[in-house]
This record gives sequence, C-alpha cells and structure tokens, in this order.
Amino acid sequence: MRSRRPQPHTLAGAYALDALAGADRARFARHMTRCQQCAAEISGMWQAAARLASAAACEPPPGLTERALVVAARTRQHPPLARGHAASRGVRMRRVTTAVTVAAVAVASLFGAAALTVAHEFGEQQQRGLAVITVLTAPDATLISAPVTTGGTVTIVMSRRHRELVFAASGLRALPSSRCYELWLMGPDGDTPVGMLPAPRDGMTGPLVASGLAAGDRLGLAVEPTGGGRRPGSRMILVVPL
Amino acid sequence: MHTRIGARGGSLARCRLALCGKTSGQWLRISAVGTDATHTSARSAAGMGTVPGTELAVLLHLVAKGDRDAFEAVCGQIAAPVYGTVRSVVRDPCQAEEVTQEVLVEIWRSASRFDAGRGGALAWVAVIAHRRAVDRVRSEQKAAERELRAATTVIAYDEVAETVEANLDRERVRRCLGSLTELQREAVTLAYYGGYTYRQVAELLGVPAGTVSTRMRDGLIRLRDCLGADR
Repeated sequence: MRSRRPQPHTLAGAYALDALAGADRARFARHMTRCQQCAAEISGMWQAAARLASAAACEPPPGLTERALVVAARTRQHPPLARGHAASRGVRMRRVTTAVTVAAVAVASLFGAAALTVAHEFGEQQQRGLAVITVLTAPDATLISAPVTTGGTVTIVMSRRHRELVFAASGLRALPSSRCYELWLMGPDGDTPVGMLPAPRDGMTGPLVASGLAAGDRLGLAVEPTGGGRRPGSRMILVVPL
Repeated sequence: MHTRIGARGGSLARCRLALCGKTSGQWLRISAVGTDATHTSARSAAGMGTVPGTELAVLLHLVAKGDRDAFEAVCGQIAAPVYGTVRSVVRDPCQAEEVTQEVLVEIWRSASRFDAGRGGALAWVAVIAHRRAVDRVRSEQKAAERELRAATTVIAYDEVAETVEANLDRERVRRCLGSLTELQREAVTLAYYGGYTYRQVAELLGVPAGTVSTRMRDGLIRLRDCLGADR
C-alpha cells in the first residue's frame, strides 16, 4: 500500500519479525539508539517469535546435522566480546577474526540496542557513514575496550590498513556545560584533535571517526573547556595505545 | 515461471508429509530435561521442552569453549525448529537444507556471543535462523522481482496460510495465535513464516503499511503475554 510513514516505534514488531528492509530498517535503527524500552520490548517479542519457530519444527533431512558437525569441526569459533565493565583489567585488545560480526555487535550494543547481538545489525550502521563501515568491515579490524577513570567505557574499532578508527563511549560522567570531552590523536609528530564528543544519548556517545593513524599513535580523551582545547592538557582522562 | 512455483509447492507438500508428519506434536510432549548437559537427554529433547532454552543455554556455554559433543547436543535440540522455520520462509527444501546448515555452523561460531542475561537461548537461535532465511529469500527476490511479483505473492500467500494451518496443531501456539485479531495474526504469520516485509504484507492484505506495523507489534506483544502466561 502507498504509505504514510508509521511512527518509528510502531515498527518494533516488524523489526522483531525481520519484516523491515532498506530505509525502514535504517529508520528503526536510528530510533533504537534513543529508545529506552526498545531492547526489552524486542527481546520479549523475540521470545514469542521463538515459539513460532518451535511450532514450525520439522525434522531435517537425514545427514544435515552430521554435515554441520563436520563443517563446524573445521570452523574457527569467534572469541568472546570484550566486555566494557571489566574495568579492573584495564585496556584489553582482541584481534577480530570476522570483523563485520564483531564490530557490528560492538557498535550495536554501544548504541543502546542491548539485545541486538546478531551480525545483521551491521546493515543499519550504514547510516553512520561510509567511514564507519570501512573500518568495521576491514579484515584487520581490532576491537579495543577500555574503562575511563572518571566513569564509563570507551570502545574503539581500529583498522591499521585503513589507518582509521571508530570511537564510541558509554556511561561517561556528565560534565558541566562549561566543559566537554575531546578526543585526541597523540603521536610522535604531535597531537591532533579528532573532535569534541557529541552530547550522549541515553548514556551513549559517538561514533566518531579518526583518520590518518600512524605508528606509535595513542588515542586520548580529555576534558576541555567547551569549544575545545588547543592542545591536550593535564585533563587527559584516558590514553589508549593503538 | 508458473511451473517453477508449482513445483515448489509440490515439493513442500511432499516434505511436510514425509518429514514433519513424523514429529507432529513432538515438541510439546517432551518434558524438561535436567540442567546437566548429557548428550543423550539433549538429543531426545528435540524441539525444546516445557522450559525452553534452559538446557540449551547450558549447552551453548560449553559450545563456546569448543565442546563438540555439546554442539552435537545443541544441534539435536535446535535442528528441527531451525529447519522448520527456515523451510517455511525459503520454501525450497534444498535451499532450506543449505541455510539450516549455515545456521548451525553460525551457532557453533558465535556461541561465545550468546548472553543468557539478554533472553532465551532458543530466541537467540531463532533470530539467527530467521534472519538467514529472510536474507536468502530477499537476495533472490531482488533478481526475480519484476516479472514474478504478482504471481509470487498470490501463490505464496496461499502456501503460507496452508503451512501455518498444518503446523499449528501445536496447541499453545495455535491457541495463542487464535487469541489475536485476524489482522494481527495474518500480519505476524505472514512476516514470520512467509518472510515478507511489513510493506509486502500490507500489499497482500490490502491495508495501509502503518496499520500492519501496528498490528505486528500489538500481535507480538499479545502473543508474548499469552505464551508467557501459558507456561
């Protein structure tokens, strides 16, 4: 039917049923980044959908499971995701085997879609720009997760090949209006501001893309006067070697 | 093109008789198995017991550590619901087999990503399976879309309705689906079992897309409440 566009939240059911495509899907993904109840609601709907799956149960043809076992036996498993709240262990780094899946999961969870643990979410991140996608899909994408001393967690997906990284944060402490968070790239050739972090939505900040990474660079997060600092000063609250 | 669709329908009917007939109602009769993951008990629990996902969650954690026996047990539990779901969406039994195998291997690969705190294990599996199936259908649809649009939607709708009817001797789900309004039920089942987008469902049913999206959400919430209260 020719359509007037439905209110985004009414698309939650269609989303849970995988009945969104293209722009609808992207639109709902955007809605989810600022929707408090979406994750819980969709999780409940998935439970219901799983019962529909059970109701459709049908014994597969003989040999199918056996073949899957054979293929699995020679298939490397994904490592677990770094968890942001494991603060005491400091900066952790993981090599990502299939970057699309892992990065998509990382970004999806960062943007409040807590229940979205499937690689498919990657499609929705397209809204966030080609640069983000380039990094997330890079075969050498690496996931870095680190706690911030003043509270919160940052997550970085980095591609050395593309010399770019995608930065996002969750749970950063709120700042007075005279202060803001600023991201810096600090390297042997000097320090470059990446940009001010936008105001968080539901505790989630980002994504920001930093380009032109060079060997020996470190990523720094500083608290600066609103408007940005000329150089990263003593207010650096996090430094991550890249 | 018409003959191809006809052939699909024919093989679907044969498959339903030959394969699903055997296990009709099985998924409801199975009682819960213990939480310790013995493989024989898991095997016999094909289709989830009365505590869906409990045992499966335990097994998935073992799979995450590379335990192949646990994975075999997981397959024993999920193969039938995964295959049934995938087949209802992709229709073609050969493709359904292929997609099912992909899903099982994906479960093996991604077991470490399963987070019991975020919902049931079967829900996690079902999401992966359904998306794979829908992806397969939609990527194929793009190729064949223009010429086939009218024929496919009409014929497939009949098949979907039939499939759903045939499978819904699963009492609780059928009863709960029955508690939905007709439009809610059609919207939910066409999307889930038919793999249609809500806009396609709107076209099929001749109602505005906004109405369909609302009914899908209301219908799923009602289904969730009904099934939850029924446990």
